[in-house]
Amino acid sequence: MSDWQERITRETAPAIQLEHELRYRVAAPLIASSAGWADLGCGNGLAAALALGDARPPRIVLVDVEEEVVARAAAELGAPDARELPGDLTSTEDLERIGQELLEPGGEAVVTCFEVLEHLETFLPLLEWSGRLAREHGVTFVISVPNDAFWSIENPHHRTAWGEGAFAELSTLLPAERTMLRQVALAGSAMAAWDGRVEQHDLTVAVGGEPLVATHLLAAFGPRHAELRPAALAGMTDMSGQRRWERQRESNLALLEEQTRAQSEALREREVWFEEWRRYIHELERELGRPPSGVSEEQLPHHGERPA
Amino acid sequence: MKVAFLVNDLALSGGVGIVTRHAHRLSAIDGWDVTLVLVREQQEHSWHGYEHLPHLHVRSRPEALGEHYDIVVATWWETAFTLFELSADRYAYFVQSLEDRFYRHDEAERLGAGLTIDLPVSFITEARWIADTLAALRPEAGCHLVRNGIDKDVFAPPAQAPVNVGGPLRVLVEGSPSSWFKHVHEAIEAVSRMREARHLTVVCGEREALGEVPADEVLGPLSHRAMAELYGRTDVVLKLSSVEGMFGPPLEGFHRGATCVVTPVTGHEEYVEHGWNGLLTDWDDLGGTARQLDLLCRDRRLLQFLRTNALETARSWPSLEQSSQFMAGALSAIRSGPAPTAGPAAARLLADLRGGLEVYGRHLGERASYRHRALRFERPLLRVRHSGPVRWLLGLRRYRVVRLAARPLRPLTGLARRLLKG
Repeated sequence: MSDWQERITRETAPAIQLEHELRYRVAAPLIASSAGWADLGCGNGLAAALALGDARPPRIVLVDVEEEVVARAAAELGAPDARELPGDLTSTEDLERIGQELLEPGGEAVVTCFEVLEHLETFLPLLEWSGRLAREHGVTFVISVPNDAFWSIENPHHRTAWGEGAFAELSTLLPAERTMLRQVALAGSAMAAWDGRVEQHDLTVAVGGEPLVATHLLAAFGPRHAELRPAALAGMTDMSGQRRWERQRESNLALLEEQTRAQSEALREREVWFEEWRRYIHELERELGRPPSGVSEEQLPHHGERPA
Repeated sequence: MKVAFLVNDLALSGGVGIVTRHAHRLSAIDGWDVTLVLVREQQEHSWHGYEHLPHLHVRSRPEALGEHYDIVVATWWETAFTLFELSADRYAYFVQSLEDRFYRHDEAERLGAGLTIDLPVSFITEARWIADTLAALRPEAGCHLVRNGIDKDVFAPPAQAPVNVGGPLRVLVEGSPSSWFKHVHEAIEAVSRMREARHLTVVCGEREALGEVPADEVLGPLSHRAMAELYGRTDVVLKLSSVEGMFGPPLEGFHRGATCVVTPVTGHEEYVEHGWNGLLTDWDDLGGTARQLDLLCRDRRLLQFLRTNALETARSWPSLEQSSQFMAGALSAIRSGPAPTAGPAAARLLADLRGGLEVYGRHLGERASYRHRALRFERPLLRVRHSGPVRWLLGLRRYRVVRLAARPLRPLTGLARRLLKG
């Protein structure tokens, strides 16, 4: 049974936390230099807080479905003045309310909407609203969706399925001036100090080429879309967690294989017993002058003649 | 939003089915009013159960002529002839294939179908290969991509791909045998060349066109639910088509845990990956196709690997609901955007018309040349036939005695008659 974690928490697997943080990091320069920032589907605000550091725009609008979650995000971001808006992103009224709060102080605004579209029953109102804000109010949007072909497991919380093809469909509905990025997974290794102290390393990573399988797909549109630049973020892997998962799978497989082998063996033995019993019963039946049981009339040696 | 989709009729077919499903879903959106306009003269309205939907209407062409729409959408090349007859703010064309390819080179419809993509309209298409082709042919025209969603209630993906450990390889061939580009008989022939144990099911609505075939089971026409059930007990969907639009059947099979063996036909590139979720076979290589099927029958690990990944591919494919959201988004964008300019479209139309006329001229020239060559043989024969002695001999046939005397010569005279008559 999968343990679905649709919100990033401190307990979320490090690789997932890094992925989420990277999305905020690529948007961070836009957010920090804007007059207003709205985070749609803000969750607990952990990744945004890590990515933004101390840089904060004057107006922050945090949106999620639950009031409690929005409050937690404001606390995590250290933004007591943030506008906390529990809301439904499929509702045009709620979207209008978010727009008003965001645009109220004036100046350039940025909206981030990471891993949200797939949760909505309908993404049309959000798309129409975002297109209008980008066109008429110069708001820059950065959105992302997971590549479901990569993750493969059916997520019960997702209402729509996304992949390269679906994102291509979405892109035809976005403004022509846009920046698209693929988020890909990294693999690596590092040397740690013997005493286990934490050290920072600068990495150079070559990203691109074939095969380029995206874990997530990003698009930015609006006047500052081109400022969204490719970036990378690496962190320590939770090897013990991964090892636990792999060993569990290996042990499950070994157990199932052994069970299958034992069942096949038992079946073969039973087949031999069954054959021996059948032969014995047929012998008895022959001695009693009865037709052998389990054999049809047609299979009898003298079909049509009654045994004596 | 008041939208009209133009269809020839509501007869059961893949293309019309997709349009009606979109229309049905769009009509459920608040503020949307959707009409299916039947452009072909109908004996009577065929509502197909839509009459209870308040915002989905079926109208004849004359009825629709009196209405005004926000957008009118042509959905098949023949419906494009009615497109500009209807009053609308915007005109769009839902391109489900490059339909000129359905006709052979010397068929007039080929030119007609080809010319319709030169119209000054906004395009919506269901496959990326069509979007790319339209972008190359009509770079100035807007094109929205709306891939066909799959009804996930009907083609419900199982939790894991079913396993066929050692039974015969269950192969499914479906398609219209009367469509030359579906190559249904070739697919059946490929299966019959297999050496390993197999079970072939052919699904076909036209039994007469199919004829006698070496199949274990011939079914059809089947409902979507029956088809889904059948895919669920299929290992491989075999398609050897040479023309496809979005190429739906293998994808429906993927949703039920079947893999596929297919030709590299247009549309396959959207979701079939050789060696990952299916196998690609070469054009006209029935022996090679049979060997691939034999391989899948022998190597059950490969079969299961492909089936597992096919199911994974299916999971990331949009549902009908998601697809209709894209369609609604595309129509809204077309409605709110500027109308396409007629100039480049007209230039393209005239260039293609000239190209078509040149091809037609070449065909006429070839025909005249053949006629000229035929006359070279016909003329001497005509001269003999109309010469005095032959006419006198033929005239003798009116005498009964001559006819009786000539009876033994009938095979010879029959041959001469056929030659003289040409």
